[in-house]
Amino acid sequence: MDFRQLELNPRIISAAKKANLKSARDILGLSGPDLQRLTRLSMSDVQRLQAAVAVAFRKSPPVTALQLYRGECPDLEPRHRLTLGCPTLDCLMRGGIPLSGITELAGESGAGKTQIGLQLCLSVQYPQVHGGLGSGAVYICTEDAFPIKRLHQLITQQPRLRPDLPTDLLHGLCFSDNIYIEHAADLGVLQTCLSQRVPILLARGLARLVVLDSVAALFRCEFTAEESSKRARHLVALASTLQHLSHSFNAPVLCINQVTDVVEHCDASQFRCGLVESAVLPALGMAWANQLLVRLMMRRLGGVPSLGAGIGAARRLEVVYAPHLPRASCLCHIGEEGVKGVLSPDSAHIVSSHMDLYGKTEV
Amino acid sequence: MQRPLSSFAFAPAVKVKLINAGFHTAADLCDLRPLQLSKESGISQQEAVEVLQTVRHDASQGAGAGSRMTALELLGREQAMGAIVTFCSALDSVLGGGMPVGKTSEVCGAPGVGKTQLCIQLAVDVQIPVCFGGLGGQAVYVDTEGSFMVQRVVDVAKAAVEHCSLLADDAEQREALKVFTVEDILSKLYLFRCHDYVELLAETYLLPDFLSQHPEVRLVVIDSIAFPFRHDFEDLSQRTRLLNGLAQQLAQMANQYNVAVVLTNQMTTKVGNGQSKLVPALGESWGHAATQRLILHWEGEQRALASGTCSLLTMLRLTHLRFRQGTLLSASAPKQTTTRLEDIWLKNNIQLF
Repeated sequence: MDFRQLELNPRIISAAKKANLKSARDILGLSGPDLQRLTRLSMSDVQRLQAAVAVAFRKSPPVTALQLYRGECPDLEPRHRLTLGCPTLDCLMRGGIPLSGITELAGESGAGKTQIGLQLCLSVQYPQVHGGLGSGAVYICTEDAFPIKRLHQLITQQPRLRPDLPTDLLHGLCFSDNIYIEHAADLGVLQTCLSQRVPILLARGLARLVVLDSVAALFRCEFTAEESSKRARHLVALASTLQHLSHSFNAPVLCINQVTDVVEHCDASQFRCGLVESAVLPALGMAWANQLLVRLMMRRLGGVPSLGAGIGAARRLEVVYAPHLPRASCLCHIGEEGVKGVLSPDSAHIVSSHMDLYGKTEV
Repeated sequence: MQRPLSSFAFAPAVKVKLINAGFHTAADLCDLRPLQLSKESGISQQEAVEVLQTVRHDASQGAGAGSRMTALELLGREQAMGAIVTFCSALDSVLGGGMPVGKTSEVCGAPGVGKTQLCIQLAVDVQIPVCFGGLGGQAVYVDTEGSFMVQRVVDVAKAAVEHCSLLADDAEQREALKVFTVEDILSKLYLFRCHDYVELLAETYLLPDFLSQHPEVRLVVIDSIAFPFRHDFEDLSQRTRLLNGLAQQLAQMANQYNVAVVLTNQMTTKVGNGQSKLVPALGESWGHAATQRLILHWEGEQRALASGTCSLLTMLRLTHLRFRQGTLLSASAPKQTTTRLEDIWLKNNIQLF
């Protein structure tokens, strides 16, 4: 930091230099009494120093919500989202996945989480006018091998999933070229991947979506029950790396999570976060839940009523919490072409949970 | 004139030298010239000039600096400051009339319970015109998590405008409605985005200037204060010192600029005796930072709000909250309005402090 740019009494500047405070972060990261002790200045001088450094450090001036609404600050509010590939699911999410912040998708095995991840890897490649981001995706596998056959099937069936898109666009895109697959079997490898390879891909514009499938797998086997605080620290560190990547490049991050069974006696309603009827809860506890922007849950429903061309049981995709979404859910089916939301035959509206919150959303 | 020198904001070394030289109160210094002072006490001439200037400036302020007020005057002043009403009587009664202006309040809760929703609601409610019972002020929103979504603010603003249009009876209220549109509400909500704790601290040092340039601001929301402080800290005592300094600055800002400061905190699990409880994050000393602590928690399928202050541990009042997309948040009072602290917390496995 260039001290000469600050509008300060030279005496204060020399005291700061003598105390070996070189950057704005050094000065701002210390409390008032600490600075006073290091620089031997009076309290009012310390306050002047902090104020002057803060002015120089501030990166962007405040904006009003009206400016965000009008789209004058695309970094803070891009005004579009990443489509899920199906208009019904997009309606549930009011546009799609937010571009910055971590979106979590939790569910039992076989619920269809990987399907959504793959579908997003394809939809990100379309241009912005069709709901994509015009870039590729990084898919990080931590448990199973990447489902390459299923990806190829989805690619060939894209015209069926997105009949609204022009055919020359569909044929012009080489989908598999733009999906970068990483395998990370333990935390160390994942940290290396996220600190070295993924930022390069994001910086070069080759990718604008990161899918981590799954985050729970890494943490459930490496830490024993007694090491819960160590696990929490690693979880928070991982989350902050992902958030930093997401905010710097305006790239959505999708983390796929497993679920745990609910054990009645020790679980208060707090840990359930309002999911009272559910027999399972997303894994990794409160430490991880505090880091998320959006939490979605995917459930397999028993019974077979086929509401359309679908393979296997119906699924329900539910919004557990999000700052801009009501507690709503939507039935969906997984077919050859991917995951498609289904409007239930009796009402044309997305079903919202009877428990509380918002009224019905208009389709 | 009798003010002791140790209460002035001089550098510690200067204070020590002055006291060692025998100067104890401001009266001892008033007749001296800088050169004399510097020779007698051993401080540099520059420092002597500054010391004398400060002492004389303070003397000329007269009784302003250490003014006294009776408790009745203080009560009158507090009541005149007002509160941010949320148009939802059960919630306002739990809050004691609304979110108090001039004080800091903390809202704690598990993820998804509605802290950000409450903050956005307050940021719109503070702008409700005076003739409808609001404060007609502006709002500052400091977002550290990235959870501020303009889409949601637009929903809440539309609901507020609709609610007020239904209530408007007289000409004054109809006039006020002309400048209370969704766009007006959005234009009076200032967003500061901070990505880590250093940026947050920098914004806090700059907020007093912003508030003096925008004297109509009546609400400052920091959502959330826990998020940037919960990682990256090897030295937890440094974190405690920073948080203490922050709490003091925010309290001073609330008082001096007449704003309500609302902070959002997360919950963390505390394991003890084989049981895990949910406690507010940032440690026990942070518990005393805010004047009022509100805990949003789940009671089965419903959300409930409990409010408590440091001194009123056993007197809590509860209300159930519901958030609606199209209308302001509504609440219903439960069957019992005052409950014993232990009953609620034991049942819900939460620890307040």
